[in-house]
Amino acid sequence: MSQTGADLLKQLEDIFESDPLIDEVGFVHPSQFDLLNEESSISSNSSDKAISQATKSTASSEGCSEQKNKSFWNKDHKLGISTSILLPLYKAAKLAFMTALKQYKTYGNQSDEIGNWLPASSSCDLQSILMRHSRSLLLLSCDFMTAWNCRKLVVSKKQQHSMFLDELHLSALVISYSPKSEQAWNHRRWVIKSISAHCSDFKDLLRKESELVEKVAERSKMNYRAWNHRCWLISYMDQEQAVCELKKSRSWAALHVADNCCLHYRSRLLLKMMEESGGSEKNESSGYKADIKQAWKDELDWNETLIKRYVGREALWLYRRFLSMYWINNFLSDSGGTSYNSNYCDPFLENEFCLIDSCLAVQDNEFADFQSQAVYAASYMLWLKVQVPEPLGNVLRAKMRAMDLKTLVDNSYQERSSLFNHFMS
Amino acid sequence: MGELATDKHVKYILSVEKRKDDFESVVMEHLRMNGAYWGLTALDLMGKLDAVDVDEVVSWVMSCQHDSGGFGGNVGHDPHILYTLSAVQVLALFDKMDLIDSDKVTNIVGLQNEDGSFSGDMWGEVDTRFSYIAICCLSILHRLDRISVEKAVKYIISCKNMDGGFGCTPGGESHSGQIFCCVGALALTGSLDLVDKDLLGWWLCERQVKSGGLNGRPEKLPDVCYSWWVLSSLIMIDRVHWISKEKLTKFILDCQDKEKGGISDRPDDAVDVFHTYFGVAGLSLLEYPGLKPIDPAYALPVDVVNRIFFKK
Ligand SMILES: [Zn+2]
Repeated sequence: MSQTGADLLKQLEDIFESDPLIDEVGFVHPSQFDLLNEESSISSNSSDKAISQATKSTASSEGCSEQKNKSFWNKDHKLGISTSILLPLYKAAKLAFMTALKQYKTYGNQSDEIGNWLPASSSCDLQSILMRHSRSLLLLSCDFMTAWNCRKLVVSKKQQHSMFLDELHLSALVISYSPKSEQAWNHRRWVIKSISAHCSDFKDLLRKESELVEKVAERSKMNYRAWNHRCWLISYMDQEQAVCELKKSRSWAALHVADNCCLHYRSRLLLKMMEESGGSEKNESSGYKADIKQAWKDELDWNETLIKRYVGREALWLYRRFLSMYWINNFLSDSGGTSYNSNYCDPFLENEFCLIDSCLAVQDNEFADFQSQAVYAASYMLWLKVQVPEPLGNVLRAKMRAMDLKTLVDNSYQERSSLFNHFMS
Repeated sequence: MGELATDKHVKYILSVEKRKDDFESVVMEHLRMNGAYWGLTALDLMGKLDAVDVDEVVSWVMSCQHDSGGFGGNVGHDPHILYTLSAVQVLALFDKMDLIDSDKVTNIVGLQNEDGSFSGDMWGEVDTRFSYIAICCLSILHRLDRISVEKAVKYIISCKNMDGGFGCTPGGESHSGQIFCCVGALALTGSLDLVDKDLLGWWLCERQVKSGGLNGRPEKLPDVCYSWWVLSSLIMIDRVHWISKEKLTKFILDCQDKEKGGISDRPDDAVDVFHTYFGVAGLSLLEYPGLKPIDPAYALPVDVVNRIFFKK
């Protein structure tokens, strides 16, 4: 341990100076480090060594390259930081950042009071030092709010478009090692809000932002922060973009059926479509309404296919509740009329009964997934009963008794019995 | 399953504060104020708050306050509403409310936006968590009249989803943590009649999985911290009889490290203060013997809440 934290911090910051395009950071255990170095020396020629130009030159000039190879690894714009140096590196980064922040604030106050008595360059120096150290700190401690805040302060004073874009780059980098970082996602929203009014290719930015979430979601399952960010983007989208996102996210959703976040995202996109269609007069035509109804029907069919293919997936059933609730509230009366009797038959409900029946049929199967499927189907039946207009509720109650759902729930999922009792009475 | 290893947990909480030599603990220093609230409230629920040096803690808390009135997560850190509530709660635990300059802390009313929502700090991020925090904080300080409660409630209701749950902002996915905040805020403002209790209770009770633990969202693994958020919400809307309390108690007790103390998110995982607090708080709501009762909306021991409102 011949290197001090300050040395390590300098090395890290030099690597960033020499390779500003680094787009992925990770903490690497020392044992993996040797492997990384070996692999990269085998796979690369002499001009493309594992350690970047900057590290090499600092290393050789100080004559301890062996040690440094074990601290950082940088290749193809990827940066690995050894877990063995995290503590001294963090302490040094925090100290450097806090010192710079104090100076920056003191300077800011003085210049406010006395005017620009320091040469402009020293203010710039202080700013760039602050930006450098805050970046280092955030790569080690992703939710260090004060470091994010000082960057917002500097960037909002400068109001340069390129600086805003740099912030998007840094937060993406932080997200690459900490996909759930609340502050990094916040920071992105702050940047997007700040530039939304005067950004010429804002639509493109939204598209890229949405793609980033998808990329992150691939590695980080059911990431609430990431998907929340994607939902937030919808408020900036027009109908065309919403429809496009709906199309694009379908195949992803089908491959990640347990990820409720993506299904929620789709529900927001669908609602956005409905909302937009309500507003404009050209959409009032019955043809448009038929289109909407068809889109909803397609989504129901798609969901049904998935429910049958992936047995016992809660998220798919909950999504169906959302879809059918909307259907019941908006489209059911079209086909049914107002007089309900015990022989009443609505094509939508008939289809749902069929689906539920087929899922209940497998309840004797010993596999847990099939038992879950039966309980989800029973709960869905209860959901329909609660959602439909009152006269129909009786029809469904009778149907549920015939299916003997109460016994099913009592036997296989007793915790739900009181819920069922409440809604059946 | 066994019993709650109270003494071990007390020891564990006290030891965490002294650990400063590994990356995992120093890297959390920016939210030390939250950590203090979790640890100290857990100690109080177990009747062991006297194990800490009051003056030391209180003077540290006060050193985190800024001129604006807000508190930072630690000394030298920017103020944020997240830490301000924790600071106020910690001072309430120690009956040191007189140290708070209420008018100054009440500056957080300035964080209310035109639509009734609350920002967390001057940088403007909006979240229903911040609505809860502002309302809880102002209520403890007897200053709820300083904000537009009507607008605040309206905003929270605008975050309600078709499944009965709530998200961070309008259109955000339902999440047990956000639901606790929204239901808590509505409870504190006497607006629970605006909640569809059957619908929300349904969603919440479906968070209980076979092991007895509760998850935060569909398809997620059960987790002790969600046991608190779901359970307290169910209690506030009077639907707690829709889950099995016995199974939940067993799940939390199974998450204890019975040798070294502390509670983890799931059985056999590593313990931390966060889950230790939520585990103890959950058991308190479940009326586990030997624990002080906790208030589901203020997330403070009931005797502390009574002191705040009946001492004046
Ligand atoms: Zn947890």
